[in-house]
Amino acid sequence: MRRVVLAVVVLVGLAGCSGSKEQPSNAAGGSGGERLRFAVIPKALDIPVFNYAKIGADRQAKEYGNVDILWNAPASADQLKQKEILESAITQRVDGIAISSLNGDFLTETINKAIDAGIPVVTWDSDAPKSKRYAFYGVDDYASGKIMGDEAITLLGGKGKVAIITSVGATNLQRRLDGVKESLAKAPGIQIVEVYDIKEDTVRCAELIATGTNRYPDLAAWISVGGWPVFTRNGTAAVDPSKTKFISFDTIQPALDLLREGKVAVLLGQKYFGWGSESVKLLYDIKHGKMPPQPIIDSGVDVVTKENVDDYQAKWKKMESGS
Amino acid sequence: MKKLWEIRELSTVVILVLEILFFTWWLWPEGGRSHPFLNWPNALLILKYSSIYGIAAVGAAIVIISGGIDLAPGAVMALAGVVGAQLYVVQGWGLGPSMTMGVIVGLLSGLLTAGLIVLVKLPPFIATLGMMGVTRGIAFIITEGQYFDVSSHLIGGWRPMGLPADWVAPIIMVTTALVFHVFMTTFQWGRAVFSVGGNETAALFSGIAVNRIKTSVYVISGVLAAVSGVVLVLVQGQGKADLATGYELDIIASAVVGGASLAGGRGSVIGAVLGTLIFGVLRNALPQIPGATFYDRLIVGLVVIVIVVVDQLLLKKRS
Repeated sequence: MRRVVLAVVVLVGLAGCSGSKEQPSNAAGGSGGERLRFAVIPKALDIPVFNYAKIGADRQAKEYGNVDILWNAPASADQLKQKEILESAITQRVDGIAISSLNGDFLTETINKAIDAGIPVVTWDSDAPKSKRYAFYGVDDYASGKIMGDEAITLLGGKGKVAIITSVGATNLQRRLDGVKESLAKAPGIQIVEVYDIKEDTVRCAELIATGTNRYPDLAAWISVGGWPVFTRNGTAAVDPSKTKFISFDTIQPALDLLREGKVAVLLGQKYFGWGSESVKLLYDIKHGKMPPQPIIDSGVDVVTKENVDDYQAKWKKMESGS
Repeated sequence: MKKLWEIRELSTVVILVLEILFFTWWLWPEGGRSHPFLNWPNALLILKYSSIYGIAAVGAAIVIISGGIDLAPGAVMALAGVVGAQLYVVQGWGLGPSMTMGVIVGLLSGLLTAGLIVLVKLPPFIATLGMMGVTRGIAFIITEGQYFDVSSHLIGGWRPMGLPADWVAPIIMVTTALVFHVFMTTFQWGRAVFSVGGNETAALFSGIAVNRIKTSVYVISGVLAAVSGVVLVLVQGQGKADLATGYELDIIASAVVGGASLAGGRGSVIGAVLGTLIFGVLRNALPQIPGATFYDRLIVGLVVIVIVVVDQLLLKKRS
């Protein structure tokens, strides 16, 4: 009997909790339309750039007034856990899903399952191109890789040894790597001495940069297709910028300070806030019968150098504060 | 006087020396260029990064010798680092007090683990698996996916106690290993740790305070993991919840490669540190061989198996 009472108390408590969660959402509805719940799923919770996507998504939801954002992802990059979260969004019957795929091919079937169940899905940052998703918003990774390669060729005057940093497994990183290689192939004087796999470990990244710098004292450039080396000042500490140029993806601090100090030569910034806001816009429009203009929406990249870093940072602060 | 071949750490030293000789030969430069592997800055680099694992491996070895296992060091490292970095970067505390708080977090984690094992009687595997989740989870709650950029707050050319910053981590590792080697080999406490690991019932009947010994080893493991976490924050310049993910396996592997038996009662803290150096050399040298970066997981796995098998064979021969 005592167990039954306990179970009832727990159930009532849980119902109370869920009730108290729903209440403010309903009260917040401002536009008078039906309330929409969008699941926004980044690759992982521990990747700092995705916090800006969350800001963008929340801001857009607030603007609409009748949208709730369910922000959820694996604690760290884990394809299976991300698939589980996607499946749970389907069973929860959310009104739309916006996902940055850790592995597009792996998620294709589940994304199609969501579409078949009547839940619109858009991808952002990292696509699942073989799926039936409505649209993808993000950089053209292959083109971005080519930009990095082109910047390296310009900086090096078309000759020198280059080492590349990547993390094997993610589709978008592989596309960027392909783009870098394609671009560098245009300059016969440039030799790719190594492609290092850092296994999504920033400590390993710093260690490899130090080891590679030691191994190739005449290295002309490092190209990183992800932002791991510029998320800390210590990541590039072993590199002498007078001898070796550093080109990296991502622009969150201290990356911009490293650029100002000349430690890094070129950074490629993505539309971090747009990942969230544009994805929510896409889902909102789909729910209101307005289909995306095309399936691939190229957000473009910001090429940030010492010359335009101040302008870039001013724009960033504006976006962050929402003013 | 111990016979040379009876020194437990000897086989680990021989493997390390052979490994260094092999890579020295393999990476020998052409045309009179300086050697890319065998040089002092590279040795310091290996020591610096090995220290992140090595300090925690001392604690892991002591736990394994006592017959237990600790799966939480990687997560404790992350939590200690996050707490220290949060206090330093966000709260504006001094570096010393912030990092001391990080170490205290490790102490509390060790005490909690010991409580689960000694009082609740949970098997060490389960207790430390739970603590791994709890400590990593708290680190994520504190950071909320962000990270604390310690590197921008440290003064350029930072020299703790007048020493080059790169030397600090190796000095802490070597000092820790030597101090605990003395504790384990010459103090009654150390002999009790071996006895508990060798035969817990016999240790109990011979008057050893088994629970107290168990508590002490998990507290030491927690504290040393936290010291590793603090070192990691200073080396990496970041306090981040996902740092050191999976390091517990590298740390345990280092202790095992260094001669510790997972059955308990056998092992060495110096051996554990030598084990981390064996992996440190591999991590450093393999990327210097073109194309080898994708093979390192395979090679490290094979090395663990080969070393432990050879160690078992040598042990049989000795006995």
